[in-house]
Amino acid sequence: MSFAIARTIDEALAGLAAGARPIAGGTDLVVGARHGKAPLPDDLVAIDRLDELKTVTRTALGVSIGALVSHHDIETHPLLTSIYAGLADGSALVGSPSTRHVGTLGGNIMNGSPAMDTGAPLAVMGAEVELRSLRGTRRVPVEQLWVGPGRTCAAPDELCVAVHIPAPPARAGSAYVRLEYRRAMEIAVVGAAAVVTLADDGAVATLAVALTAVAPIILSVTGLDALVGLGVSGAAAAVGEMAATQATPISDVRASDRYRRHTVGVMARRAVEAAARRAGGETIAIPVNRAIGIGAPS
Amino acid sequence: MTITDPSRPAPRFVRADGPDKVTGSGRYTADLTLTGMLAAKFKYADATHARIVTLDVSAAKAMPGVFAVLTQDDVPDVKFGPFVQDRTLFARDVVRFEGEIIAAVAAVDAATAQRAVDAIVVEYEALPVVNDIEGALSADSPLVHTEWAGYGGVDVLVRDRNDASFASIAKGDVDEGMAAADHVVRSRYVADGCHAVPIEPRAVVAQWEGNKVTIWTSTQVPFDARAGVCETLELPNSRVRIIVPHLGGGFGGKCGFHYEAHVAALARAAKRPVRLVFSRREEFVAPDRRREGIVYDFETGVKADGTITARRVWLALDNGAYTADAGFFSQLAAMHALGPYRIPNALAEAHLVYTNHQPSGSVRAPTAPQTCWALESHTDEVAAAIGMDPVAFRKLNAVDSGAEGPSGQTYGEIGVQQCIDAATAAAGYGQVLPDDEAIGVAIGWWPSFSVPSGAYVKIDGDGSGQIITGAQECGTGAVMTLRQLAADELGMPAERFELVYQDTSVAPYDMGATGSQTLFNNGRAVVAAAGQIAEQLRNLAAEQLEASPADIVLADGMASVAGSPDRGISIDELAGIAAGGELLIGHGSGIPPGAPATVGSSCVGDLGMSAWVAPQFSCHAVRVKVDRDTGVARVLHVSAAHDSGTIINPIGAQGQVEGAVLMGIGQALTEGTTYDDQGRQRNAALLEYKLQTCADAPPIDVHFIQINTPDAGPRGAKGLAEAPNVATAAAIANAIAKILGTPVRQLPMTAERVWEQLQGDQGARS
Repeated sequence: MSFAIARTIDEALAGLAAGARPIAGGTDLVVGARHGKAPLPDDLVAIDRLDELKTVTRTALGVSIGALVSHHDIETHPLLTSIYAGLADGSALVGSPSTRHVGTLGGNIMNGSPAMDTGAPLAVMGAEVELRSLRGTRRVPVEQLWVGPGRTCAAPDELCVAVHIPAPPARAGSAYVRLEYRRAMEIAVVGAAAVVTLADDGAVATLAVALTAVAPIILSVTGLDALVGLGVSGAAAAVGEMAATQATPISDVRASDRYRRHTVGVMARRAVEAAARRAGGETIAIPVNRAIGIGAPS
Repeated sequence: MTITDPSRPAPRFVRADGPDKVTGSGRYTADLTLTGMLAAKFKYADATHARIVTLDVSAAKAMPGVFAVLTQDDVPDVKFGPFVQDRTLFARDVVRFEGEIIAAVAAVDAATAQRAVDAIVVEYEALPVVNDIEGALSADSPLVHTEWAGYGGVDVLVRDRNDASFASIAKGDVDEGMAAADHVVRSRYVADGCHAVPIEPRAVVAQWEGNKVTIWTSTQVPFDARAGVCETLELPNSRVRIIVPHLGGGFGGKCGFHYEAHVAALARAAKRPVRLVFSRREEFVAPDRRREGIVYDFETGVKADGTITARRVWLALDNGAYTADAGFFSQLAAMHALGPYRIPNALAEAHLVYTNHQPSGSVRAPTAPQTCWALESHTDEVAAAIGMDPVAFRKLNAVDSGAEGPSGQTYGEIGVQQCIDAATAAAGYGQVLPDDEAIGVAIGWWPSFSVPSGAYVKIDGDGSGQIITGAQECGTGAVMTLRQLAADELGMPAERFELVYQDTSVAPYDMGATGSQTLFNNGRAVVAAAGQIAEQLRNLAAEQLEASPADIVLADGMASVAGSPDRGISIDELAGIAAGGELLIGHGSGIPPGAPATVGSSCVGDLGMSAWVAPQFSCHAVRVKVDRDTGVARVLHVSAAHDSGTIINPIGAQGQVEGAVLMGIGQALTEGTTYDDQGRQRNAALLEYKLQTCADAPPIDVHFIQINTPDAGPRGAKGLAEAPNVATAAAIANAIAKILGTPVRQLPMTAERVWEQLQGDQGARS
């Protein structure tokens, strides 16, 4: 059993090549071990001191978010809370304030849980993950990253170093909405993210929707091209039905499959509506869950 | 917060244990480390009903680092239980719930102990699992205890097969009352079980010195814990000392006797100190303290003018596999099912039913929140049947000062009507709301418990005081408030008193942090003890000031002659004088108020719960919003009005109500245990068993109706720890029912159940 603290990315990559697993915030790894989900790996390499992985950089093509950027950083970052608001919606719902301060974006997506809150927003935004190893660097679209519950296509020696999100077109907006039984320390029962681009006449020009916790991986809704040209409310209603149809939820102690199938449709509809409002220039506070539906102030 | 008597301003109050707890310097049981200390782990049954065919601990015993492995063969063969002696420390022959202990290990560290536990071999022959409360009462149900008839138990208990305690309350003629009604309303409700969930999972440390054992334990009831150790290990009181470090919450879950004997037995066998620290999962699954699930059938007859003519209730409580302190729950639930109403003809029948679930036991106001939820939901249905506003219906039918309650008790001064007025006014009941919002109202009640209790008070030579009390602080602040009572009695600041508490070998008996009884009874004891010192001080001052003792006034740290404020001497100075002569020492207990009479009712299985001394009343009015698309309900505002007598520590009292209301919101919406088909808990973890968080807390208005209660505790105080947990879930239910147009018949009213109700599903699934 070993625990090494990496001072450079190369040290971290060398550790992974030698069979160690990376640990940053530890919010999945440590909690999972304590709950008996999976024992702690024998060898750990701590990457939490790699400051170069903690930056948010605006690029010509969009934004690059270092793998160690925390959920708290995301939910408070001026660029991410405006142009990439759907991602900030997701990060703002993770766990508790303390979880959000230590939990990282890289950890969230590499943990590969279908209930992750940043996965659906990244999927609808067309994000790519940068994976690095001593063998080199490659970029993988997030939708190809996840291959099953808790499983990614990354090789054991590959470290997620950044997430790259393309810049949205003009008159685009995004949102992530989640079913919550309580307002903190919650895990997604179902959730949905949407990116909507509006045409000049207010109709839907482009539309992407992805669903949380209703399939073995984050599920992208297909067949949305047919909705282009519809008004927002019509498109949102149709998306709700398509989401409910395409979802393959399970029954467990959190909810029945029947209830999940229904509510994921509601979440998808609300995500499209909120994204469209943002696309129209409206500012809805982060997280959008607190501003719509049951969360709306009375 | 409002207090109806403005002549009593809220004193500034700093809890003596506050700085320790807030700064992290306080020591809890799990923080204790003793030289040579070993770690304990338990082997649990896992099976919910099975006969033990093989139990082989030889491999565990042989492991390096293992100092002791115990089974029932290694401890006295004693059956115990406060109402029915139906269990032993370790399972022998048969296991009856998943968290039953089969063996215990002490080893050098927790990991080694766990490996040894894993090496214990158990083979079972499966027995039929009793997983359904009502089914367990049927004649052909398998028995949880085939030897039930041979068990010792409290004489008055009415037991029959899987029915561990039957109780009834009967008054008048129910059939006649129903016949006289214009409408008869019948309702069925089902409440799931839930948990206390203290922040601190329990811990026990035991150390033997010679033939005496000291046990540090996270218990709410140190004297009860001592009694349990003495009974099961066959030791006299004089050889067992229980000390409770800071307690990280209990909510009833740490009442009773838990694991102190197991750890003491391990420490004796290992000849080393031993520490047990529970995981969160163990805290959920193992203790015999869980809020009981209950099935209810209500029938109420009512006249068109709103007068109740009769009520009949049948209910069955889930006792679980063993009878812990739930023996009296059947009668208590029967009282709550009849409710604080004027009912001329009443019959409540309650069964406490063995199942292969974790045993039930006291959790904050046992039986009350779920029974109030069912009764008050039913009450709104009754009001609706005659087209009457539910608040007006309650005003008409609720008891009042001088009225007779459902069991024949006639009340002295009580404040239930004032509670209804205060809570509904503060909530703005009657206002026009959006169609996805509503205000629900419920009333509740809870007894005060009058029991013996003792304390010493002493003043040292420097004028500082100590209160040495058997009372146990479980977070409510009741023990902390004792300083205020002693200080007021002696005219000294509360800060001059130190508390010495939670040690059975130091202080006199107290029942512990249970039944909201601490201030009611130990407060009486402290006032009596301080009164003895006050008399000593007055005599001393009279000598010094050449006045009559009857003219000496103790106030502001001075003993002065009445009417001559310049003739005085400081209490510090008097304490110095006393230190050279007769020391300032007082002891107190006082006489507990007697139980009130019940007239005109008959009770089967009477365990003293049909008449309540100094009863407490409450009304909660709660504004709720429901998301019709998802069924998620959100509490927007709570008004809680309480008649708990005189409020001595307003800040602490407000905290008790706020905490209990939040706990009630959890019970209403998110907290419920679900079982698999074998009776194992499916959500024994904090991610799946959803407590409310601070982020969920609505604004909570607290109103205290302070009236002159007969037979109350010190200065007219009643209890307060449990009463505020009674009516919240019920009020939420009535708000949800208004929004939906129909009640949700199963508790908790989860989002999915609310949504199913909106789909036209009847929701009640047992």
